[in-house]
Amino acid sequence: MQQLTDEPVVRLQGVTKRIGRRTIIDKLTLDVPQGEVFGFLGPNGSGKTTTIRMMVGLMKLSDGEIIIRGHRISSQFEQAIKHVGAIVENPEMYKYLSGYDNLVHYARMFPGISKQRIDEVIQLVGLKARIHDKVKTYSLGMRQRLGVAQAILHKPALLILDEPTNGLDPAGIRELRDYLRRLAAEEQTSVFVSSHLLSEMELMCDRVAIIQSGKLIDIRQIQRLGSEPAAAEVAFEVDQPSEAALVLSDLQVEHKDNRVVLTADREQIAQINAKLVSAGIKVYGIRLLTKSLEDQFLEVTGGEQIV
Amino acid sequence: MFDFVQLVRNENMKIYRRTRTWIMFGMLLVLTLAISIAAYAFPDGNLPSMWMAFQINTMLGVNLITIFAVIIAAETVAGEFSTGTIKLLLIRPWTRSKILLSKYISLVLFAFLFVLLLLVWNFVLNWLLFGSDTEARMGVDQLPALNFFLQYHGYEFISMIMVVTLSFLVSTVFRSGSFAIGLSIFLLFGGQLLTGILSLMDYPWVKYVLFLNLRLSDYLSGGNMFGRGEHDLTLGFSLSVLAVYYVIFILITWYIFKKRDVAT
Repeated sequence: MQQLTDEPVVRLQGVTKRIGRRTIIDKLTLDVPQGEVFGFLGPNGSGKTTTIRMMVGLMKLSDGEIIIRGHRISSQFEQAIKHVGAIVENPEMYKYLSGYDNLVHYARMFPGISKQRIDEVIQLVGLKARIHDKVKTYSLGMRQRLGVAQAILHKPALLILDEPTNGLDPAGIRELRDYLRRLAAEEQTSVFVSSHLLSEMELMCDRVAIIQSGKLIDIRQIQRLGSEPAAAEVAFEVDQPSEAALVLSDLQVEHKDNRVVLTADREQIAQINAKLVSAGIKVYGIRLLTKSLEDQFLEVTGGEQIV
Repeated sequence: MFDFVQLVRNENMKIYRRTRTWIMFGMLLVLTLAISIAAYAFPDGNLPSMWMAFQINTMLGVNLITIFAVIIAAETVAGEFSTGTIKLLLIRPWTRSKILLSKYISLVLFAFLFVLLLLVWNFVLNWLLFGSDTEARMGVDQLPALNFFLQYHGYEFISMIMVVTLSFLVSTVFRSGSFAIGLSIFLLFGGQLLTGILSLMDYPWVKYVLFLNLRLSDYLSGGNMFGRGEHDLTLGFSLSVLAVYYVIFILITWYIFKKRDVAT
């Protein structure tokens, strides 16, 4: 179990990567607090994998610093990395070894991982039936599960997953999503997930950072149903829009075609609906007009070409 | 930090859990067995001394082991890069230097283990086939045979480690297993030809060339001084030259491995 702290589990400060004269990553700054599922969203070639490689010490930083649990990745690599479990791109394992031997291999590299812990993790990722088969006989989905297993063996404070839903079937994606959310909620693990699948991020993450061409464009909180405090734009589809606008004249209302559009929170939506119905107006539908992350994503990246 | 031995166990697992390694092992045993049996079944007059069969088998076997060890050396770093497993290997609480060291140690252990098995197997095999021979004397110093061969293979082992370390270097620097194997094998066999040509030239630097100093066992057997030409080399000189090359190989390998970004 990890102690609770206000310190972010990982902090990126002005992280920059230059290769030759090209700047691949440009002054990236962000924090991930404990127990948060943080999405890292960007089109292909935007620098997601490069950033992740720097976070796990596979690539050196040209400038800036990455601090994990108070330790600098550049100068205190061993102390920093022991809090991290990761899959970088595809989970490539030793194909000539069994799944179990692969896990034994990684378990030996951390102090005090018991045989029980290995079995527990195997159970958790649902690989029990095939764990003693050679990895070369595994499907992509099974390799992905084995990848998750090696990443969580040592109960890291920070789990970094690069495109984790690649190659998983819909059931597998759902399972992984539920598992990550549970890990964040119950074990207070911070999860850093990269993806270009927007809808997936919306379901999985608490916050999402959007990067493009190596620059951080925006960080957004993901609204969750049920815990939605903010008001949103709502459209009421009615039979007499102008009548409806009159009834709701104390609110700021727009009416067009067969609907009225206004800003309301969850509770207000119910009240407005009751008001309309009691005024004899037929309500055919109520629709939230909040933009999906996909719209936001395309908006901020402007559908720009990869340079 | 905690147990470094665990890293070496991992590397050993990656060597000995592969069928490839056991095929190498089988080849070594079967080949030497076949030669001994042939010598036993078709003797040229009287049965030869056990040491004659021992000599042929172990000299051949050591060359074979050098090739095997070069293949393993080439694979151990380059293979992790080409399969992508290097990424998961390097994100553990171990510095790159220690990970590389564990690989190098497992490699030297492999070479040592195979040489040891070759010697023991051939000693027992040929003793059983041809009977013991305690009278045999060998080499320029007329040493007792067992004593001679232990020293001989000690020198051969040093040469083997030099070639294997070179393969390890190429594997790390170029991250290409086939290049490492090709270059090492070429230098191992082509090197002798190269030294032959070099030794004909009367440059003072020729005696510092690696391959001129690689055949340490010639100092013991007095045989095959081919390639040394007019250069007046001694065992001590050759060992010093090899030591300098060794340190340079190791420094380059470690420096490159530590420095490089992993972007496969």
